[in-house]
Amino acid sequence: MSTPVVQTDDAGTAGTAPVLELRDVAVHFGGVKAVDGISLQLEPGRIYGIIGPNGSGKSTLIAGITRLTGLTRGELLLDGQPVHDVAPSRLAGRGVARTFQTVRLLADLTVRANVQIGADARADGGRSRRGPTGWLRPGATSPAVADAIARTRLEGFEDHYPAELSYGTQRRVEIARAIAMGPRLLLLDEPTAGMNQTERAEISALMRSMRTGGLCQLLVEHDVQMMIDTCDYVFAMNSGRLIAQGAPAEVVRDPAVQEAYLGRKWREHADGD
Amino acid sequence: MSDFFNANLVLVQSTLTGLLLALSIQVPLRMGVFSFAGAGSYGIGAYATGILVLRYEMDALPAIALTALGTAVIGLLLGALISRLGGLYLAMATVAFDLIISVIAINGGELTGASTGLFGIITDFTTGQMFVLTVAVLALVAMSEVGRLGRRVDTVRDDPELAASMGINVRRYRLAAFVVSGALGGLAGGMNVLVRSTVGPLDIGFGLIVLALTMIIVGGSRSWKGALIGAVIFTWLPDLLTVIGEWQELVYGVIVAVAAIFLPRGIYGVLQDGTRWVQRVRRDRRAAARGGPVVDADGGLRPQEDEAAVLVAQAAEQPVRELDQLSGRTQGAP
Repeated sequence: MSTPVVQTDDAGTAGTAPVLELRDVAVHFGGVKAVDGISLQLEPGRIYGIIGPNGSGKSTLIAGITRLTGLTRGELLLDGQPVHDVAPSRLAGRGVARTFQTVRLLADLTVRANVQIGADARADGGRSRRGPTGWLRPGATSPAVADAIARTRLEGFEDHYPAELSYGTQRRVEIARAIAMGPRLLLLDEPTAGMNQTERAEISALMRSMRTGGLCQLLVEHDVQMMIDTCDYVFAMNSGRLIAQGAPAEVVRDPAVQEAYLGRKWREHADGD
Repeated sequence: MSDFFNANLVLVQSTLTGLLLALSIQVPLRMGVFSFAGAGSYGIGAYATGILVLRYEMDALPAIALTALGTAVIGLLLGALISRLGGLYLAMATVAFDLIISVIAINGGELTGASTGLFGIITDFTTGQMFVLTVAVLALVAMSEVGRLGRRVDTVRDDPELAASMGINVRRYRLAAFVVSGALGGLAGGMNVLVRSTVGPLDIGFGLIVLALTMIIVGGSRSWKGALIGAVIFTWLPDLLTVIGEWQELVYGVIVAVAAIFLPRGIYGVLQDGTRWVQRVRRDRRAAARGGPVVDADGGLRPQEDEAAVLVAQAAEQPVRELDQLSGRTQGAP
């Protein structure tokens, strides 16, 4: 178990130019304030986590950042440039990749082709090794895809179809597809759901290994231990708002976070003990 | 061979136009666009080519090229107007477009020949030219099913939200579906009128949608190969069924119903599944010989078995982990 790099700056900054900055971001659905006034900054080379009980707005925040859900108000800045009016498809070209809460693989494509979809989003289509005609040779695996498959331990499964894989392996294919995009900001929405403890530890190690390349990662997870093991800095959400942020171990012990997860009565009972 | 070809010239020509008509509806479906506008474009193509040849004495190939270009532009305009609609609403809007074309054909006066249509459209257009044009178009459509473009089309169809996250401009692909559908439909209609030398209101309209859908459903909706299989079957089948006289409509209907119920991915889908099964057996044998993973890394469970187990395990495990970690207790502690 590696010791996480703890970011002590309360604002979530350490002097480096942020990859992503959110200023007073809100996503409302009618009267429901799914996300309500979130401001934060994400720096390159760091792993950030978002925890919170079900319905706290974590996935909506990811959807807002990736522009799949429109913002009610607020600003999104990617490398200092406003992107809150940019089409979602243009964010991929600017280095934003994501995985979804549920497995979303193309059933009729092999693992290799599914991962290649991610590489296709790169400027060179992941085809740095080309055939005589300038195109990827049929059946060949592009370097970006081969790298993503190796990182996610999917060797041997390249020619399998998603239906032939276990749920945990399907999730690894999703992560490989996102990695193959060569992102600068990677958003992972519950990437280890359905995985066993060994697989979760592998994903945690994979995320930490990608930090060295300057990749900024934002992880949404329910598994608190995974957050503590993986993240440098954690944001806790409840009812669409940030209720705590800081080093993972500290945030987990925060009374407001414990109350959000377990309820006020439990908190009073625990204090009474 | 030559005798067979000459004896069945009309059927051969109908197969080629039927194939392009089927593709004009299959291509948008492959992009997740539930559009039948290809049938309307077929009608426009037939009448426009006929008018260009009859009224403006244009040669066959320029007339067809101009027609296909025109129907592609009409497809673009139609797409710009209705591509934001989805599912049945989009389908109904395109059916309305097809019906409008039929109404215009009947009420077009001298220009369209009204209820009698246009006739005497004689050109030097040959079946050979028709074949070359069809093969060229087929090659272009086939190219859209492989490589990067093929993967992107599949993604747009199966999961538009995922496609947007992968940098794919979904709206542009949906518009392209309307344009390609328009061009294919127009080309099919134009070629048909040139080899038949006549077109009337009864040759276009709702029946074309039924015919094209039948070809796609039975042949296969995900590939040009399915459209080809469907076009061959439903061009030649009615001719073969004439031997059973009045029962032919019933047998025709039963074949379509059986295919729709038991072959949801069409005949080509069955062939594809068979090919995959063979590939899978070979792959697993090779993997077993190498000592590599035969099925899966975490115990060889298939998703159907594994998914339920995972969900049950998660439901049992996750709250305990979360609560224990938050409260600072270790698992199993009182």
